Amino acid sequence: MSRPVLVRREQVLRGGQPLAFGIGLCVALLVGLVLLVGSGHDPLRVYGRMFEASLGDPRAWSVTLNRAVPLGLAGLAVAVAGSMGLWNIGAEGQIMAGAIGAAWIARIGGEWPSPVLITAMLAAAILGGGLLALGPAVARARIGVNEIITTLMLNEVAIRLVQWLVHGRWKDPGSHNFPLAPMLPDNARLPGLFERAHFGVVLAGVVIALFGVAASRTAWGYELRVAGSSGATARYAGISLERKVMTVLILSGGVAGFAGGIELSGAADRITEGLSNGFGFAGIIVAALALMRPSGVAAVALLFGAVQIGGQSIQTMGVSSSVSTILQALILFGAIAAGVLSRYRVEMVAGEATEATG
Amino acid sequence: MTEASLIGLLEATVSFGALLYLAALGEMIAEKAGILNLGVEGMMAMGAVTGFTVALHSGDPWVALLAAVAAGAAVGLLHGFFTVVLGAEQVVSGLSLTILGLGLSAYLGRGSVGRPAGAELVGVDWGPLTDLPWAGPVLFGQSPLVYLAVLAGFATWFVLWRTRLGLAVRAAGESASTADAAGHSVAGIRLAAVAVGGGLAGAAGAYLTLSLTPQWVEGVVAGRGWIAVALVIFGAWRPGRVAIGALLFGLTLALKTRLQTFGVDFSPILLSMLPYLLTVGVLVVISIRSRNRPSPSPAALGIAYRREER
Repeated sequence: MSRPVLVRREQVLRGGQPLAFGIGLCVALLVGLVLLVGSGHDPLRVYGRMFEASLGDPRAWSVTLNRAVPLGLAGLAVAVAGSMGLWNIGAEGQIMAGAIGAAWIARIGGEWPSPVLITAMLAAAILGGGLLALGPAVARARIGVNEIITTLMLNEVAIRLVQWLVHGRWKDPGSHNFPLAPMLPDNARLPGLFERAHFGVVLAGVVIALFGVAASRTAWGYELRVAGSSGATARYAGISLERKVMTVLILSGGVAGFAGGIELSGAADRITEGLSNGFGFAGIIVAALALMRPSGVAAVALLFGAVQIGGQSIQTMGVSSSVSTILQALILFGAIAAGVLSRYRVEMVAGEATEATG
Repeated sequence: MTEASLIGLLEATVSFGALLYLAALGEMIAEKAGILNLGVEGMMAMGAVTGFTVALHSGDPWVALLAAVAAGAAVGLLHGFFTVVLGAEQVVSGLSLTILGLGLSAYLGRGSVGRPAGAELVGVDWGPLTDLPWAGPVLFGQSPLVYLAVLAGFATWFVLWRTRLGLAVRAAGESASTADAAGHSVAGIRLAAVAVGGGLAGAAGAYLTLSLTPQWVEGVVAGRGWIAVALVIFGAWRPGRVAIGALLFGLTLALKTRLQTFGVDFSPILLSMLPYLLTVGVLVVISIRSRNRPSPSPAALGIAYRREER
């Protein structure tokens, strides 16, 4: 009797990751086809509409770009930590913490000139996100507490913190009984770019590019990769692991917080508990698909933004918005499988023999 | 604070505690075998929608429960396929499973929103025990799933710590190559553990829609899957301690809607942060203590095992 095993390829398949992504997308679209037919829709019309609404014209592009901003920055946040082998699962909460910081500045700086106010808001957002990551960062660096769980737990804490503020201290007296924060003042809003796109698209692009350069062309980025692949080598080379772990996790939180500030100032009317609508979790997927490289993050975020915006647009055709959620998860599962197969090949081996000699 | 409201609080504590315990036990079993599954939230959602839908069509709550367990196990196996067979990153696969489960459950349940339940899992007849003061309603007035959760806890403890199979499972989670050398199939053990874990998460989901609030709404799991993940750490991977943690976290869930009735002027929202903050605190304590003694966390947790690359 023989059984299939995965054998590591001597060389990773060239262009493996974009290919993996493409395969993931195809798998997702095929399964989506079944779901759509199952609910009595014409899949071609639905997919056509998704494309039109997300990438069909400049206006569609502007909406998709806006969505790609929080996805890309959250993905960057995860990738920054991931390049060192750390998992920041807390981007969702850090986005909220960043939004809290930005909203707080907007509350006290209502009279400030717009550029000053927005700059202060974004700075506070970075601080907020970094602050939420501070605990997990120190705990991981000093006593080796698993950062996956601590960052994950703080998500729920941050979301509830926003709930608490919106239900109490920050509740708009004019909102009657609804727990709503007041609308942002006009000078707290990011200027527009084209159509619906806001200036956050540029800011996010610059930040992602900066990190891309830092990761691939500076000693700092090199040290991160060394520290990520082998702690022993890093120590030998005189790299302080403790400090690296701490700065990287705090920086990662700061980037996610920045996403929260931009989302609040660019896309939202006010801070709500639904501000980060799963962006932090989607960011993990974006970073994973981009193999933790900032350069890939932007491209993947754009595609995910298109899938999300396309998914929203088909609700008017009576298609459940859950279809787009399913598509996103399936793209990832398909891409994981294809990614593994670009590094491994399947071989049939005699099963019993290896059991005996193994 | 009246006696009746206090009894109500304890009743709800046990009820929520059992819900969390079912899901946390499942996660614990998977982690004991070395697989971190962050898809609990999604597996619970799949169990919840499957249980409710099958109850609508069959009218039999037990068939519905079985179907929910099967659905949870099936999506759990998806995580198993990616992490065990393909050796993919467990964090990424688990989170994708959560997203998939939430999306798929919403898709499958879109026709069930607002419909009354087809069947409910109602209380077990304990005879005169039910009439006991305090203990009657708190311990003997519960959904059958509460008693199943207790049984599952004992069974898990017995199998994991008192049988050869359990030894093999724990070996797979502590040192996969050692387990392999001892002649165990690490892949088989891990797949089975993830499937059992998914089944228990599915049962917890069915508890939501067949007992707790017999109806289907999107987002019914409401973050309780994450509490289950937290509980495993809080309980240091021991069924007994996880049970104590489940009651404690269950109490915070039960208190949330009752603070005002008790005249306590404390925000229920801040209270609901407590399980997560406590878990972080416990994790820090575990890490500090594990400098001098072995950590309770399975040593091979989260690490893929490729037999051919030993």
